Amino acid sequence: MFRTRVLPALLGAIIVLAALTLLIAATGKPLGESFQIILQGATGYPRTDAFGPVDAWDSVLHDMTLLLLTGLAVAIALQAGLFNIGAAGQLLMGAIAAAWIGTLTGVPERLHLPLALLVGAAAGALWAFAPVWLKVRRGAHEVISTIMFNYIALYLTHWLVTERLKDPAGDAPQTAVIADAARLPLLREDFLQASWGLGIAILTALGLWLVLYRTVWGYETRATGANRDAADAAGAPTARRMVEAMLLSGGLAGLAGAIEVCGSQYRFFEGFPSEYGFDGIAVALLAGNHPAVAVVSAWLMSALRSGAYHLHAETGAPKEIAVVAQAVLILYVAAVYLRKRRVEG
Amino acid sequence: MSDIFDAQLVGAALRQATPLILAALGGLMSERVGVINIGLEGKILMGAFAAALGALLTGSPLVGLACAMGVGVTLALLHAVATQEWRTDHIVSGVAINLLALGLSTYLFRQIIVPREEAGETSVVTMFAPVSLGGLENLPIFNALLKDQSWFTLFALVLPFMLLTLLTRTRWGLQVYAVGNDSVKARTMGVPVKRLRYLGVLWSGVFAGMAGAFLVLAATGQFRENMSAGRGFIALAALIFGRWHPLGAAGAALGFGFFEALQMRLQGQPVFGVQLPTDLLLMLPYLLTVIALMGLLGKMKPPSDLGN
Repeated sequence: MFRTRVLPALLGAIIVLAALTLLIAATGKPLGESFQIILQGATGYPRTDAFGPVDAWDSVLHDMTLLLLTGLAVAIALQAGLFNIGAAGQLLMGAIAAAWIGTLTGVPERLHLPLALLVGAAAGALWAFAPVWLKVRRGAHEVISTIMFNYIALYLTHWLVTERLKDPAGDAPQTAVIADAARLPLLREDFLQASWGLGIAILTALGLWLVLYRTVWGYETRATGANRDAADAAGAPTARRMVEAMLLSGGLAGLAGAIEVCGSQYRFFEGFPSEYGFDGIAVALLAGNHPAVAVVSAWLMSALRSGAYHLHAETGAPKEIAVVAQAVLILYVAAVYLRKRRVEG
Repeated sequence: MSDIFDAQLVGAALRQATPLILAALGGLMSERVGVINIGLEGKILMGAFAAALGALLTGSPLVGLACAMGVGVTLALLHAVATQEWRTDHIVSGVAINLLALGLSTYLFRQIIVPREEAGETSVVTMFAPVSLGGLENLPIFNALLKDQSWFTLFALVLPFMLLTLLTRTRWGLQVYAVGNDSVKARTMGVPVKRLRYLGVLWSGVFAGMAGAFLVLAATGQFRENMSAGRGFIALAALIFGRWHPLGAAGAALGFGFFEALQMRLQGQPVFGVQLPTDLLLMLPYLLTVIALMGLLGKMKPPSDLGN
């Protein structure tokens, strides 16, 4: 237990901290003070008059909502043996679909929010369908097609938001603000961006955990990912499970985009943040693709992000130290935990 | 129409295609030896930064080029070690390298180049001079196409043929083919599988780095955050659209470069009275690649040992 689990985790933490230390030291800012500011950005403590726990948790919980959903999206696909690096594009499609529903008039008030979230998830699932269909029917590598669909989504949403769904009231490339009834309430009144989308995300994580580990469907899906030939031989409908897992994956990424629109931004705009789709890869890998563990890894990554952003805001140090640290973490986790079994001598 | 399609447009297309061809042919070697390489984007970006820094500090574009290729190779080495020694998944390693390059290049840019700009120093580097073609410049077509092109572009036009010869006419090329299609059999036959895999991946670093150098040292003269802007992924698309063949990949890259040039030319201009959305043109390379993946344009056959 200690050698296989605890030691690698400790080593990983040390390596990431070392990378952070190096990057901060190279900026010439005092180390102790910098780490204190990162800690403040991640937790709110030590608090000051200008920045306290409310500010920190608003940012952390907001990021955590998106990272958890995109992390779950990547994880469920990987459980079925598929690498969905198209979460960014699926998120964009979900976001613009939710913004479109949110700005419609004449939708019954009670239905407006659930409809926006559902259509957002459906748009994400739709965007994941072609890549998995190409995989199952044509043997095309899903990584290549999801990359292609990321860019197609980028330009398609850009065209939509500049030509078709643009707010007629202004010149800016953005949709109108969504209706009040289509908004997710914030977690606290004094929050600015963290909404009850977090609740949806955590419930989804727990639900996925049950489905993956306590149902036949989950068993067959995991068997497909572990060894498709063996699962085939045992009679599992592997192609079906792959398609379903990928649709679920795209749906979760689309839901992330919809929640960002309904809970935080209240509109879609040019340059809508989609990099959460890539961050989801780190969340899933760190959690070993386990939905419940993903809650913890999503929190960790959000804390790291918020800490780095706070350091940037306070001292001007480049916030990209979080991106570098994340890359180091992915490489470490992949090299230590995800080694492929050696097949040849 | 004639004011849209002219030799100048083709010249611009060649310029746009240059980094795509270089990176696609780099990625091709990596995939031909069985290593999936989605880290091209990161290598281009980091190469562009290194080119800018090297040229800025020494005043020499040659040093900038050497730095770009060196950094490309370093990132490629990381990919090679991760996939061959640590047995990491090729995609995961590629994603990490792209993130690393995005983070590091932006970080270093803000640490080193931005402060110089703020201090009033220039961040524009000495670029490579356009190649003079001697007597050929008097021929009308050559003049329009190749006027003011950098040596990168001329090299990118020759490279596919060199690579094709290398792959099909040499013992080494046949060994590469063997490794990419069945590494176990290749090893049994005494082919140095690991050495070839390292070579193939490092080759991708050299040429992706060179593509990055082109962006700074021949196209724009300075580094900007995330300036690779998806070119690594378009190169990847070109390589697949071109079916892992040097001429196919280069042809696809030329076509995709043409869409980019056309898109820039068309900004706001109607064609046959219709306002073409530029987003559609930008989307076209990816859309065409998806159509190719669907098998509508003939059978796609990647190297069979890809990713192992």
